[in-house]
Order: sequence, then structure tokens, then C-alpha cells
Amino acid sequence: MADAVLLNVVLYLPLLGIALIVALPEGDDERVRSWSFGVMLAQFVITAMLYLRFDPNVAGLQAETNLPWIADWGVSYRIGLDGYNVLLVLLTAFLGPLVVAGAFNAIRRDVRLFYAMVFFIQFAMLGTFVAQDLLLFYIFWETMLIPMFLIIGIWGGERRIYATLKFVLYTAFGSILMLAALIYLVWSHYQATGNLSFALADLFGARLTLAEQGWLLAAFALSFAIKVPMVPFHTWLPDAHVEAPTTGSVILAGVLLKMGTYGFIKLGFPLFPQAAQLAMPAVMALAVVSIVYGACLALVQTDIKKIIAYSSISHLGYVMLGLASLDLIGIQGAIIQMVSHGLTAAGLFLMVGMIYERCHTRELAAYGGLAKALPVYSVFFMILTLAAIGLPTTSGFTGEFLVLLGAFNAAWPQHLAGDSVPLVWAVIAVSGVVLGAMYMLWFAQRFLYGTTRVPHGPVADLNRREKLILAALLVPVFWIGLAPDEPMRKTEQAALHFQRLVAGAQQPDALAAAPPPLAQRRMEAAR
Amino acid sequence: MNWSVLLVAMAPEILLLAGLVILILIDTFMARPRGLLAVSVAAVIAATVAAAALAVIGYAAAPFPGHFSVDSSAYAAKAIVLVLALPALLLGRDDFRGGPFYSLLLSSMVGTTLILSADSFLTLFLGLELMSIPVYVLVLLAMQRVEATEAALKYLILGGTATAMLLMGVSLLFGYTGSLSLGAFGSLLDTGNPMAQAAVVLILLAFFLKAAIVPFHTWAPDAYEAATVPVTGFMSTVIKAGVLLAAVRLFGVNSLSGRLVELLAILSLASIVWGNLAAIRQTSFRRMIAYSSIAHAGYLFYAFLGDGEGRFEAVAFYALVYGLMNMLAFASLPAAGDDVERDRLENLKGYFQRAPFAALMIAVAMFSLAGIPPLPGFVAKFLIFRNVMEAGYTLYAVLGLVGSYLGIYFYLRVLQYMFMSPAPSGLKPQPQAALALGAIAVCLVPAVILTVYPGGLLRGL
Repeated sequence: MADAVLLNVVLYLPLLGIALIVALPEGDDERVRSWSFGVMLAQFVITAMLYLRFDPNVAGLQAETNLPWIADWGVSYRIGLDGYNVLLVLLTAFLGPLVVAGAFNAIRRDVRLFYAMVFFIQFAMLGTFVAQDLLLFYIFWETMLIPMFLIIGIWGGERRIYATLKFVLYTAFGSILMLAALIYLVWSHYQATGNLSFALADLFGARLTLAEQGWLLAAFALSFAIKVPMVPFHTWLPDAHVEAPTTGSVILAGVLLKMGTYGFIKLGFPLFPQAAQLAMPAVMALAVVSIVYGACLALVQTDIKKIIAYSSISHLGYVMLGLASLDLIGIQGAIIQMVSHGLTAAGLFLMVGMIYERCHTRELAAYGGLAKALPVYSVFFMILTLAAIGLPTTSGFTGEFLVLLGAFNAAWPQHLAGDSVPLVWAVIAVSGVVLGAMYMLWFAQRFLYGTTRVPHGPVADLNRREKLILAALLVPVFWIGLAPDEPMRKTEQAALHFQRLVAGAQQPDALAAAPPPLAQRRMEAAR
Repeated sequence: MNWSVLLVAMAPEILLLAGLVILILIDTFMARPRGLLAVSVAAVIAATVAAAALAVIGYAAAPFPGHFSVDSSAYAAKAIVLVLALPALLLGRDDFRGGPFYSLLLSSMVGTTLILSADSFLTLFLGLELMSIPVYVLVLLAMQRVEATEAALKYLILGGTATAMLLMGVSLLFGYTGSLSLGAFGSLLDTGNPMAQAAVVLILLAFFLKAAIVPFHTWAPDAYEAATVPVTGFMSTVIKAGVLLAAVRLFGVNSLSGRLVELLAILSLASIVWGNLAAIRQTSFRRMIAYSSIAHAGYLFYAFLGDGEGRFEAVAFYALVYGLMNMLAFASLPAAGDDVERDRLENLKGYFQRAPFAALMIAVAMFSLAGIPPLPGFVAKFLIFRNVMEAGYTLYAVLGLVGSYLGIYFYLRVLQYMFMSPAPSGLKPQPQAALALGAIAVCLVPAVILTVYPGGLLRGL
């Protein structure tokens, strides 16, 4: 009960933050900044408490609130923590204060509106993660568009209006079909059972024909794939990242992109398990294509922000690969990889923002030899680079390694059974690791070493605020890298739940067949 | 006749009439009329409270059996249109200095409340005319441009055409059934008789014209642009809500079938798509809202595809939310100066710098009209499409939703002007008039309540 209250406090603290900012007199930007930071910090502390109290051995929801909201339609206000979202909620709350602190210098115009929008998107993101009711999820999911539209559009770069409209119109298109699909899902569940409910727990049991599942999965998957983004729905991402202010990029890379993969793991696959099983080869193929294609595009960029934007596409491909493996280790690895990417990409975007504030250019060619000019900056940048490419002892290694292990785990028995395609995909995915090391190290080499070129230089090295932000970011990077056991245990029940729902579901025509279905064989092989 | 029943049952109408009489007396006998706004606002508030209270206690009566009856949903419908009229009244003072505005608006309101209780086509016709004729005058009343006369004439002629079609349809209906009751219309819906079908189609066309459904929409952009802000607000919210809620009453609980479904779905879809696409090209705020309202009329008529039971709930909720949001946008426009300048969309550039609160209010309204959650416009749209899907028209629901997607862009463009473009030089910050702030509050407070807890109102409807 106490936990449930705390979770609600965490969810609504951002709204309180907005109220506080609005109450402050205009022009008092210093106080707006410090109060915003304070509220975000309080949110993180409470979330950390919730995380510590989260019991990894309990399957299902913890800290649950369940109240009727639009009772006539079976919509309830139902939020809670489970293995799927607990790490992501912690990540969101952790990045909150860093995002606010990172924008202290960069944002000089309409400061109150800016921090109000940061709080608003924080509210929407947390709500999306903790929502356990399909309509509530959708409402939070769509709400994220409003603050992001304004953050990119008001404080962005030169082509900000094009970028923000592209972002909104892309994501809204996916969502509108998801809305149709979710109405259909709830309605047919009601037809079949007489139970009008939007609660996820009820809908997991919905009995749909394979054709229905296929259509609905396609609608949900389109929406999620745009958000991830998976190739070929990724073209909005580089534009949004490049034009967004640093804060916008950090929020986008840190949390927003995880919405797509979270949607797949929490809703897309478990709601339509039979169709998902059939779609898995395609998902796996798209995931591997995203890994390799994203990495290749990152290799040839000349804009620093674009390199990291394309590397995001590649890194999120691993998440999808882990999910598609349907292997316990792979699924857990996918969740860890989400968190890891959230930390490293957020850190790299923050660092790009810091150098941009000083040198006012994002052209890679303009830079060189920063290691001599800005030694502290370079050390942090190198550590984050290595974490991004998955150096052991960092979180990137844990995520990528587990995902690949899961992919091979699942592919090997299939290979023995005569189906080598998954194994081929897994092997190609490994090449993504090499490509990743290539583009990031090449980037770091040109950026940090060689002849010293500092545009608008000489410039000052990191100040104390910036050092503190980056040092704070590195703590979880190494924590997950060195002691992955603890966070992984928190996700175990969710991974089992996902595996049971998706891999355990039998194809309708296979119900009576003698050999156990493919997925079951995989599960046994994994044990 | 039982007078006490009559007094209670017709309380909203009687209160409006009382206000109207006082207005006319003040106008006639006072050398310098004062208190017109106060009297009309008081009359509308009293009528709203009466209607809402009677709806909540579930009062039902038929003071004129066969012609006029009330029940809780009729009262709820009346309360909705009356609430929407309030901001229009409050906004009116800056544009209209004289008495005719208030008395015309109030008489139009009497007509609107009348049609929401009509049981026979006689009452319906009376109410529709009483509702429409004052608006023809209102469009011209504060005329500032010559083009306005053309638009008003267009509106008058097409309004007259709608009336003629209604009368033609009703006479066919009378010829076929020998009855003028609204119930007779429902019984015609699934007959194959050509005369009956002609009657149904003609009556429907009259409603399409009044609600500005494609291809009967051409009067709307001109009339909306010609009228001043409060009258445009009144036309796009109160009149539209009144017409649609009357249509719900007309159809009763009958589900549509056969050809009628296709007719309704295709015309609504055409309105949604065309309204949303044409709005993109507009440079005048009111013209843009006109096309937006054509699209919204499409969503509202979509609700008729759904089952009869959920129809009233969906239309009433949608009309209320849509009306509140439209009015919120109108109330937050820059204060009245040069009307033509005020109407230019370009003049909203940099509006956030000049008037942050008003710009935020317009932003709320635009996001809500675009149907983006968590604003109440989303719940309203969800309700309609849920009903369509539950009736089994999955394809129409998907097409309608995709059509609604087309509308997002032009609402976002308003935001882009307000927040992301520098202000044109020469514009000075103008504080919102106190009355406009009142109108904003009237729209905003219910909207916030509907955002946080839509379930409350839905249970009552």
C-alpha cells in the first residue's frame, strides 16, 4: 500500500514541478532551474527507494493502484511496477535530474516553458511505463508527442520545424492505427468473454483468430517500430536528433526510444502470441538489418550528432534481436541493453551538447586533438565511447553479450533441427559489434587525437557541474557492467512471463499435432 | 393543461424567454440601455442550471403530448448547448455595442432548446427556423467588409434550401405514414418504398446542409469568415451541437442499415478528409476553423453508424468537448482591434511572446481538436470510433481514424506560428479583456474536469 502511494507520488511529482514553476515570478530563471533540479532529484530518490523495495521473486504487479476511471467502458486507472518496467522507471527517474542540470547553460529563452515541458514529458514517459491498462498506456504514449513537439520546435536548430513536424507526423501515424487495433482487440475480447476491460492482465487471455492477430500485431508493431526506430521506419530519427536541443536529444535517446522496444515486449508480442511467433523470423531479420545498416550509416556521417543518432538505431536493433530470440537470457539481455543504451547514448549526447556550447559546430572535420586541449572532457568521452561499443566491465558489454548469447542459444537447436537461418542472422549480428567498434573508435580517434583543432578555441575544459553530471552517469554504467546480477534478477519474472506468453503459446493448428511446437523445443533446449 | 408541469418542464425555455422579454423592455424604455450583458448572461446561466438540475434528477414529462416532451437526456442536451452559448455571449460585448446581439442570440437559443425536445416535425421545424433566422442577421450585424454581405446572402439561400428540403421530406413522410411525429421517421428507415426513402433522404439532406457536411458545406467557410468572432463561435459550436443532437433525437434508437449506412459513412468520410485537407491551405483563422468544423461534423455523423443506445452519449460528449475547445480558441485570440487583421493566421506568429497564457490556451484547444491525448478531444473521438467499431464497421472506423490523422498537421501549424516563429514587427502585446478571461474560464474549467475524470459525465449521459 505504501509502495502504491509512493509510485503515484513519483508519477505526479513532475506535475507538481510544473505548478511550482508556474508559480514562480517571470524572469527568475535561476530559481526555476534549481527548483526543477530539486523536484527531479526528489523523484529519483523516491524511485530508488521503490526499486530497492521491489521484490524480484514475485511474479506480477507490485505497488499497484487500481481504481475505476471510465467505468462504463471498462477503463481503469491501473498502474504498477513489474519486471518489465522497474529498470526503465529507474532509468527515467535517474536521467531526470541530469537532463535538467545539463540544460542550465544551453537554454536561455522561455526558460519556464522549457522546464515545464521537460516535466511534462517526464510525466508522460513514466506514465507510459507504469500503465497497466491499455487505454491509459495509449493516452500516456500519445501525450509524449506534445512536449517533444514543442521542445524540438522551439529550442531546436535551424531546420527544427521540419524535424519536429516529421517526428510528430511519423509517430502519430503509427499511433492512429494502434488506436484502431486496440479498440478492436477490446471489443472482440468483450464479444468472446462478456468482460469489458482494458486491463492488460485480462487482455493477455484474449482469444483471437490467427488472421485477427496478424492484423492487430501489424498495427501495434508499426507504431512501435516507428518509435524504436527499426529500419525502414527510422528516417525521422536523425532529423529529430540533429535539430533537437541537447536536452531533447538526451530525452529522445535516453528514454523515448525505449518506448518502442518496451511496447513490443510489454504489449505487442504477448498480446498476439501466435502471430508473433510467425512474425519472429521477420522481426529478427529487421533487427539484424537495423544493427548492420545503422552501424554502416554511422560510419559515414560527418555530423557528430548524426553518428550517435545512427548508432542508436544499431543498438536498439540488439534489443529487438534479444526479444526475437525468445530465449530467457536474450530477453533479459534486451532489457539490460535498453537501460545500457539509455545511459551511454544520453551521456554521449550530453557531451556533444557540452562541446557544441563551446565551439558552436557539430562538424566532425572541424575538430581534432581534443585530448590535449580538453583532457577531462576526453577521458569522459572515451569511457562513454568504450561503454557504447561494449567493452567488458561496462553496461554495454552486459547488454550486447547477453543478447547475442540468447540469439545463439535459440539458434543452435534450430540449426541442429535443420533451420540455419536464425544462426546466420546471429552471426551477422556479431559483425555489428565489430562495425560498432569501428565507427565509434574511428570517431573518437578523429575527435580526440591528431593535430589539435578547436573551433572558436581555446575553450575551457569541463566545469564542476558538467563533471558531476558525467560522473553520476558513469556510476550505473559500471554498476551494470560489474554486477549485472542484481538488476537482472529484477527482470527475471518478467522475462519468464514474456517467454511463457509468447513462446509457450501453441499455434492453433498445432494443438493436436504430435511433435511439440517449435517454441517449446527452444525452451527445452535453453534449459 | 397542467400549468405546474408546463412551468417545470419548460423551465429552460421559459427562463430564456423571460430574459429575452427583459432585454427588449430595457432596449425600448431606457434611453441608454445598460445591463444587457448581465441580463442575458443571467438568463443563460439560469436556464443552464435548470436544465442540468432537471437532467440530474431525471425529470421526465410531456407537456404537449406528441409535440414536446422532456427527459433527462433532452435536458442534458439542452444544458450542453446552453453552456456553449455562455462564452459566445461574454465575447460579444467588444464587437456588438447594441441590444440586438443579445436578443438575437437568446432567441436563437430558444429555438435550439426547442428542437432538443421536439417530438413532431412541426416543433422541429419551428425550432430550426427560430434557431437559424437570428443567425442570418447576426452574421451581418457587425459587418465590416463588403464581402460579408455576399457570404450572408449565400448562407441565407442555402439555409432556405435546407428548410425547403426538410419541408418537402416531411410532406412526403406525411403522405406515406399520415403522421408528423418523429417516431414515424424511424419506422421509415428500413422500408424499401421509394417515397419513404425519398422522405428520409430529403430530411437527412436538410440536416447535412445545416451541419455543413461535404458536399453541402460551401456556405460555411464564407459565413464563418464574414461573421465576427463571437458569432463564428456560436455558429460552429452551439448551432452545430444543436443540429447534431436534434438528429440523434430524430433517429432515436434505430440502427441504420443498408444503403443509408453507405450514404452516411461516405459523406462523413468525405467531410473528414476534405475538411482536414482544405484547412491546411487557409490563411484566415476563421476559415480554418470552418474547415475544421466540417471535419468535426463528419466525426459527429460517424457516430450514427454506431448502435442506437450509445449514440446520444457519443454525440453529446463530443459536441460538448468540441464546442468548449473551439470557444476556448476563439476566446484566446488577440483582443479585438481591426477584425480582418485579427483573423489573419500570420498574426498569430510569436503570439506566445506577446500573450503567453492566451497562446497556451489556443495550444490546448488545438491539441484537443486534433484529438491528441490527454486532452478531452481524444476521449470524445475514441468514444465515437469505439461505437462505430462495435457496430461492426471496422473498415469505416479505420478509414475515419486515418482521416483524422490528416487533420493533425494544420492544428500543429497554428502552434508552430505561435511558439516557433518570430513575431511580425509592429504588433504590441495586448492584455486579454476581462470578459474574454471569463469566457476562457467557462471553457477551461469543464475541460479540465473532463480531462481528469471523463467517467463522471459519461455516467450521467
